[in-house]
Amino acid sequence: MFSDAEVFQRYPDLRITWDNIEYFRGLLGHRFLINRCQNCGYWIYPHRPMCPECWFTDVRPTEVSGAGRVHMYTLLHQGGVDGALGYGFEYPHLTGAIELDEQPGLRYHAPIVNCDYADVYHQMPVEVTWLEPEGHPVVAFEPSASPNREIEGN
Amino acid sequence: MSTRMMDQVAIVGVGSAPYSRDSKRSSLSLGLEAARNAVLDAGIDKNQIDGVCGYGMSAVEAHGAGFLSVQGALGIGETNWVLNSWSGSNLVYATQAVHSGLTDYCLVIQVEMRSPHMSAQAASDPFRVNPTRFAGTSSYGVYSAEWIHTGQVYAAWLNKYMDDYKVSRNTLGLIAINNRQWASKNPAAVKREPITMDDYLNARPIWEPFGVLDMDIPIDGAEALVLTTADRARDMKNKPVFLHSLSLGGTRVGEYYENGIAWDKTCPWVSNKGVWSRTDLTTADLDIFFPYDGYMTTAISHIEASGFCGVGEAKYLLQDSWDEDEHIIKLNGGRTMVTTNGGGFSHGRMSGFNFFTEAAQQLRGTVEVERQVPNAKVVLASTGSFHHDSAAVILRAD
Repeated sequence: MFSDAEVFQRYPDLRITWDNIEYFRGLLGHRFLINRCQNCGYWIYPHRPMCPECWFTDVRPTEVSGAGRVHMYTLLHQGGVDGALGYGFEYPHLTGAIELDEQPGLRYHAPIVNCDYADVYHQMPVEVTWLEPEGHPVVAFEPSASPNREIEGN
Repeated sequence: MSTRMMDQVAIVGVGSAPYSRDSKRSSLSLGLEAARNAVLDAGIDKNQIDGVCGYGMSAVEAHGAGFLSVQGALGIGETNWVLNSWSGSNLVYATQAVHSGLTDYCLVIQVEMRSPHMSAQAASDPFRVNPTRFAGTSSYGVYSAEWIHTGQVYAAWLNKYMDDYKVSRNTLGLIAINNRQWASKNPAAVKREPITMDDYLNARPIWEPFGVLDMDIPIDGAEALVLTTADRARDMKNKPVFLHSLSLGGTRVGEYYENGIAWDKTCPWVSNKGVWSRTDLTTADLDIFFPYDGYMTTAISHIEASGFCGVGEAKYLLQDSWDEDEHIIKLNGGRTMVTTNGGGFSHGRMSGFNFFTEAAQQLRGTVEVERQVPNAKVVLASTGSFHHDSAAVILRAD
């Protein structure tokens, strides 16, 4: 288990709050956590302390399966305040919003890896893979290894 | 929706600072020049200004062209109402402040700088990088800081839009060509050479499918307006331009752009629904229409949200409205012009505030004759992001 101090120390450039620290603590241990309402079961992202559906405040960081589909995507050729993507990522860089299988509309922004821009498509099944650029664990997605998911999903 | 604010507040002063790619000036310097010009244009004493809507993303931002700096720098003695904001909300906030009586003469300032977020060259200029270290820093995650408050997500949106509605870049490019064609008649625009569809299709890729011509052009510049009540405006030196109907548009997406809901549920649809519910006018009454061209994605969305066509039908509207001879879009069978100053794509990035200044001057009848729309009476400026600060404003002149 990583202490609060360690979470702050490992992510010095981020605004870490009581609302999101469990998420970052999870990343350090390669656990992908999304807040979930303990009353209605709604998955809540971004990391808010109250359920937007039922206003229940017992919201718990809960591990997700890591399976999802590409909702939208772009190939970045440039960007970044210092001309770099940060965390060692290089251009051109494939990035997208992944809709997680847990709930319609539950989307997470992440790198898409092990896939060319020409091959990615909307609704492509993907699953989590972990990157660790410069010692910062990052959730990324790659094409799903399970061939059946595509048939089920369509 | 109430119409009690209809035509009760007017624009009486318009001012600008020059647009350039590298002004070597501070945002405060540019903001002050635009502000001074707007107050001079209004023909009032600076100490009549009793409200300032400064430029800034936080209400009490203490640097740049926020009200804390602007008021003192302009030497305005006393104000009774101040706020920082940015386009397009700032015009709506200032209008409601004047209408409520909290300020009688309100100055509104919008500044844009070619920031390191928007330009690879700016990212190597220490004068431009340094201020970003003190702006609100990211709290969004290890990876997503860039996605937020940059346009990368709009590139992804456009990919999805083109796929969902089977739209090709050959159609989208008409907007870029239209805006450049108008900019060629605007001496204040930073990009004035007409472009072709080949230029558009072959533009340098930035965030695919965006090429460089799908994005507004980052510049240093500023704009400002002076507002007062309609009653006062009728006794002042300029032809009044009335704020006829206004609406902001917010959704629950907030700053997490990947949560963007359906294409036709984003902020432009909300602000347009609001603006049209507060008037009996329709799109058929518009002489000029400004759909926000921060990115190609927003331009398309504001066109569809305005009601000129249905969801996913911008491609038909653009094709049907294209004037082959003049290389511009003409809506409503030819009487409604689109983005007569060149917009963000070609005049320069002003987050849509240059729509308001251009609209005011078109309605006064005071722009260069080459681009003056004859007898312009009604304008819709529909500006703002998918996820914040969307504002639709109908401006009107007698």
